Amino acid sequence: MLSRAASLRWSRTMASGTENEEALDDELDQPDGAGFVPPIIVARYGVLTALTAAVTFATFIYFAPTKGYFNMGDSMVFFCAFAFGWRAGAICGGVGSAVADVLLGAGFFAPYTFLAKGSEGLVAGVIGRLNGGSKLAKVLGVSAGGTCMVVTYLLCEVFLLNVGWGAALAEAPGNVIQVIVGGTVGTLLAWYVKRVYPSSGAL
Amino acid sequence: MTRFKDLYTEADTFLHRLDPRVKMASVLLLSLLALIMSALAYLLVLLTFIFVLLLLARSSYRKTAFAMKFVLRFMALIAILWPLFDPSGTPVLIRLGPVVITEPGIWRGLASAVRVGCLATVWYILIFTTSQRDLVRGLVKLGLRFDFGLALAIALRYFPTFGTVMESIIDAQRSRGMEFEKGNMFVRARKYVAVLGPAIVSALKTADMLALALQSRAYGARRNRTYLRELKMRPSDYVALVTVLAMFIVPTVAKYAFSVPI
Amino acid sequence: MNASVTARRLPIISLQDVRFSYEGGIEALKGVSLSVARGENVAVVGGNGSGKTTLAKHLNGLLKPSSGRVLVGGEDSSKTSVAMLARTVGYVFQNPDYQLFCTSVEEEVRFGPKNMGFGRDDESALAERALKLMDISHLREQSPVSLSLGDRRKIAIASVLATSPIVLILDEPTTGLDSVESAQLMATLDVLRSEGMTVVLITHDMRLVAQHMDRVVVMSEGSVALDAGVEEAFSDPDRLRRCKLLAPPITVLAQRLQAQGVLPKGAATPLQLVELVARVRGERQ
Repeated sequence: MLSRAASLRWSRTMASGTENEEALDDELDQPDGAGFVPPIIVARYGVLTALTAAVTFATFIYFAPTKGYFNMGDSMVFFCAFAFGWRAGAICGGVGSAVADVLLGAGFFAPYTFLAKGSEGLVAGVIGRLNGGSKLAKVLGVSAGGTCMVVTYLLCEVFLLNVGWGAALAEAPGNVIQVIVGGTVGTLLAWYVKRVYPSSGAL
Repeated sequence: MTRFKDLYTEADTFLHRLDPRVKMASVLLLSLLALIMSALAYLLVLLTFIFVLLLLARSSYRKTAFAMKFVLRFMALIAILWPLFDPSGTPVLIRLGPVVITEPGIWRGLASAVRVGCLATVWYILIFTTSQRDLVRGLVKLGLRFDFGLALAIALRYFPTFGTVMESIIDAQRSRGMEFEKGNMFVRARKYVAVLGPAIVSALKTADMLALALQSRAYGARRNRTYLRELKMRPSDYVALVTVLAMFIVPTVAKYAFSVPI
Repeated sequence: MNASVTARRLPIISLQDVRFSYEGGIEALKGVSLSVARGENVAVVGGNGSGKTTLAKHLNGLLKPSSGRVLVGGEDSSKTSVAMLARTVGYVFQNPDYQLFCTSVEEEVRFGPKNMGFGRDDESALAERALKLMDISHLREQSPVSLSLGDRRKIAIASVLATSPIVLILDEPTTGLDSVESAQLMATLDVLRSEGMTVVLITHDMRLVAQHMDRVVVMSEGSVALDAGVEEAFSDPDRLRRCKLLAPPITVLAQRLQAQGVLPKGAATPLQLVELVARVRGERQ
């Protein structure tokens, strides 16, 4: 049996099913932490995380020596950040890329990837949506987010993985190219989805 | 389509039976151990131990080779580049202008390479022997909010699906004369909009349907949801946990309290 | 006259003892030999996992045979890129959503010819013709994603037709359509056929086969179990059942009537049944 409070909460969760960001903020800001993430957010974040991982996995081309691959994963990180906000950028981008690392046979990189791509998505989501997501905001978002990613990888590799500056620096140029390519494609994708599938709530 | 397979294979070994939380803790502790140790000999012992565990988990040769594919290149890179950036110690072997290569530098490079090898392979003890369901269940038991856990479960469940979707889309666009192999990196990347666009739209449609499915199965009806199969620590789980803890604590104490060069 | 007939019967696609295994080692095609002549209408049928989609993907080079040869327009598919083969063979995928990505229908239809480097004028002419053939000219400004499944299928077909292929492969084009949409789509295909298009239809729907196709290739466990005219293919219900297929209701009806002695033999398709009944009635009157 449901308690009255629980059933009230349930109906509220259902009702907020199609809301997005603000609803999520409300839910998460419950003082007792009783709120649930609305189902559409759970489903969307889950699905976008899966897609980020799948894109990273499916599009890798041998490139950077560190992870041994160049991929389009960053375009999904930037897409999530620009279309659905910093939270999606951080969670879907971070977790999705980390999952791909594990599945690609680079599992030891997963924690660092989570930090690097998560911060990339977070920063890109915050800056890239300023001013209604103008072109300038997106360019700044990609630059700042990308810098976060490259620097996080570098620092993690040198200070946490202790691989030495040589191997760490060898990877950086590849990461920079990934940011430029991924940023361009991610921006195009955000624009595309907003245009062809407006009911998804993508900005 | 076959590329998107689960790394987990069903089997009945003690590692498969182990509580996922114990396996997570072990992976974490062994990783920390690898980061703490700096002597090549001890790192090699740890690496051997990890391989023995993988062997006991009956991971196939193919899967282990896959796991090692990327890390071997990385290890080689570290071993080669480390001495160039680490001029400390004697004897000096080569002095070429600003580049100084010393013998301790080479040993440290090798140790670092083996350390990365340990960090890379220790993961597979968990990944090869734990089903997605147990993985998520273990994380939720460790305090991950269950709605977040649900999102993660959805992500793991749909990863292979979207992999196949991507392959189909790539095939469909190639059938219309698109050539992904042509052009420089930017031209190629631009072409992927024709793949990622439909993939995202179909993913978002899936999400809308999933949200309805979640609601119709009373998602969020109760704060403390119950589980059909509860995770429970058995005596053997405690034994494993204590063993790994000892493996971590003894060398750590030896190194930092008694300055043993481990 | 004779020369044109020979030209029509020249195989546009021919498979010679084609074998194919997926990465995991599963052998999906176990020695398939087949040839499709210009202007033919071939239905490829079979249960799930019988290898019909794997077969179809060989016809335009998406998959290359592990052994054996596939000749498309006389060229070996293993030595030619998919993009080149796409000029001869158009492939419409089952799910139109995996294909459509442009923001307007017109752009979508122009995408193929643009890839193939037709000039701007040809591109427009081809797109225009494809839009007209599929009867979707009025949708040209719309965004494909927002349209109905039936319309999206038509757009997908139009976008392939715009590359002016000689052979059109359709993978389950009626899945998910209601009967009106489905009938409309098949009527459009009949128009294409009458204009000389070679059509290869992959389907589960035996009614479509009976109504619209001339030749049936039945796939079973990676081999061609039967390759015959529609009438012959449907004549043996047991053989069909062994290949996980059922004859269409109209054929079953005709066969039961024959078993009862009400009708003489020889009706497998709706049209033949109508003719047969008319003839029998004529004889009785």
